[in-house]
Amino acid sequence: MKLTLAIHEVSDAKLGSGTSLEGGTLTVDADELREAILEDRRIESVDIEVANPGEPCRIGVVFDILEPRAKEPGTGSDFPGLLGPMAMAGQGTTHVLRGTALTVVDAQQEPGIASKMMEMHGEAAANSPYGNLHHVVIVPHMIPGTPRHVELNALRLASARATVFLGSAGIGQDPDSTEEFELDGPSTDREGLPRIAYIGQIHGHQMVVEEDERILYGSNTEGMIPVTMHPNEWLDGAVVCSYWVMRVETYFYQNHSIIQELYRRHQAGEINFVGTVATVAASLEADRNRNCLLAAHQAKWNLNADGVVLTKYGGGAPHVDMGETARICEALGMKTVVQVSDSSGDRRAESAMLFNYPEVDAIVYGGGGDIAWDVEPVERVIAGSPAVAQALAQMTQIPAQALCGVTNQQGASVVRAVVY
Amino acid sequence: MKVVHYLNQFFGGLGGEEQAGIGPEVRAEAVGPGRLLEQVLGDDSTVVKTIICGDNYAAENLESVMELVVNEVRDSGAELFVAGPCFVAGRYGVAAGALCAAVQAELGIPVVTGMGVENPGVDLYRQELYIVDSGENVAEMRDVLTRMAAIAKVTASGEDVGRPAEWGYIPRGIMRDEIVEETAAVRLANMIVAKTQGQPYETELTQTGFEPIPAPPAVPDLSNATVAIVTDGGLVPAGNPDNMPAIASTIWGSYDIATVDNLEAEDYEVYHRGYDNRHVLNDPDRLVPVDVLKELEKAGEVGKVYEQFLSMTGLANPIANSRRIGQEIAENLKNAGVDAVILTST
Repeated sequence: MKLTLAIHEVSDAKLGSGTSLEGGTLTVDADELREAILEDRRIESVDIEVANPGEPCRIGVVFDILEPRAKEPGTGSDFPGLLGPMAMAGQGTTHVLRGTALTVVDAQQEPGIASKMMEMHGEAAANSPYGNLHHVVIVPHMIPGTPRHVELNALRLASARATVFLGSAGIGQDPDSTEEFELDGPSTDREGLPRIAYIGQIHGHQMVVEEDERILYGSNTEGMIPVTMHPNEWLDGAVVCSYWVMRVETYFYQNHSIIQELYRRHQAGEINFVGTVATVAASLEADRNRNCLLAAHQAKWNLNADGVVLTKYGGGAPHVDMGETARICEALGMKTVVQVSDSSGDRRAESAMLFNYPEVDAIVYGGGGDIAWDVEPVERVIAGSPAVAQALAQMTQIPAQALCGVTNQQGASVVRAVVY
Repeated sequence: MKVVHYLNQFFGGLGGEEQAGIGPEVRAEAVGPGRLLEQVLGDDSTVVKTIICGDNYAAENLESVMELVVNEVRDSGAELFVAGPCFVAGRYGVAAGALCAAVQAELGIPVVTGMGVENPGVDLYRQELYIVDSGENVAEMRDVLTRMAAIAKVTASGEDVGRPAEWGYIPRGIMRDEIVEETAAVRLANMIVAKTQGQPYETELTQTGFEPIPAPPAVPDLSNATVAIVTDGGLVPAGNPDNMPAIASTIWGSYDIATVDNLEAEDYEVYHRGYDNRHVLNDPDRLVPVDVLKELEKAGEVGKVYEQFLSMTGLANPIANSRRIGQEIAENLKNAGVDAVILTST
């Protein structure tokens, strides 16, 4: 399976007449984009704005951030199972508007502990991987009385639709560069190199998914058992983040740090990247036992891995599931490394771990609980309601965990909790 | 800087194990390793008192030795208290840790000690103190004291001590966030490559070892037992009378169910952000199974359902807090004559 990313570098974005990509400038025709989004008749209206890096501008509450991308016609399906027809993601050519983001605001969400925001200037922005991107921001408003799960479903579809709409500006244009992702499988020239797999959770079922939620190829992952996936599928629209977003955005999947890093080392001849397993954290004991065992065994028997990198999705219960999966991997003779995030309310190492297996002894420890940036009030806020806009405008401090992308739990973060 | 130094009988030059019962002696000068300590601390530091005590005496009379040491340090106007280093001498380490902790708490001056990681004093006091990793080799005395002096000086100046590996102390288990060069993905890849190839790698978090908790013996006769329900799922009566927080509660509540056979949805609320509360809100008996227990009570299978259920919010709760709440709840139920407890978690 080979995926080619056709990278179009974008250095500026603005609203204007006729959507186009010219000389690194993305012009977005708001009427055209609006028309595409309002194809979904559950959406009554949509606000469309552009926020550029360095502008004193704040955005919230963020539903999701995606990288504008579109498949080259005839080479695959955009977000198969979610937006486009079912097809295997991860092959053919995908146009990428590098330097831009499609940011979707959830107009019904109040700022709170689980909410996420973007700051476009200053130190806080400099610390977010999204701070230097040109954001096309959409704020869909539903017809009155729309039930919450329907609203979320409409937001999810709108996010995919708008992403592809923007990405399509790259179709027919010569890319600035291309990136190729291809695994040659267990070829002989890789003999002796460590065979490395990735097991990643894509939801934590301690938070119940909606029946019409779309996470993996359009599935809501309820009743899901672990599934072996080609790394390219993650990068190319097979997975989007769930509604219960904890420190992850779909942009992150499209540019999955761990998959990209393992690819880099594979291409450098340092490892043999043998594949991935997507799994979910459970809320029931029977599901937990099944998922952990099957994920580990797929890494062993499908992928024949020597070593496994594991990450979690969400809080404590997923943390435990990841630890248990790693324990089983070690028992099967595979080495493991896990990324945990700080869950110690008292900032004590003894409170940090939710498992205690001597063999799971390679731990990358993400932080974020201590860090916050002082900010000035801003005049420009892109929000879903006047109340949220006012709350965001008057913020004086942004905690790291509220700023999109800073405390990502799947490899992208540079915030580390260090034990003193 | 005025320094008070604590030594055991061996390092204080009074003798070996045969002198371990000897009580505390106070000298107005540096003794043994204290002279080296003065050297490595520099010209402006003087050991104004050395307190020497036998290991057994200190172990058996820790309270009174602590009181004496705190008073001596206070009276001398010392700006630094140093104990040991103790290497792997267990009783010495435990006493040194206790004395450092007491001086730090009572007088608020910098304290430092040194021990080998196997010393039992390490597990007892590592969270509270800077304990320099002395290893077990007494010949390393100068190096150990040099590191102890460096930490003493920087804490005395009010600055932060750096990372454990750089400063040579045993990690205290205190977390601090730092923005680093490499993403977690790069660190993960580095570690898995090293681990699969048998190369050394440095974990970013060492797991804390916990004592296993054995399962208690079965209740011999449930039909004569008083059974209580305790939950960490955050169920409270409507109106949340105790202001139970939705994360990491520091309190627990006790709520009357003496005349209730079934928990009605409208009478209860959930304060817990770590799970989907809907199933419990629809029927609180799903978390606190009063309905079934009362049926068993009527059928005579359970002697008595205790008239209160106890509740707190367990989510992301620090160990120290959970331990205290657990002890309080256990004591409360024990005093109330409860024989058995059903714990429900979420």
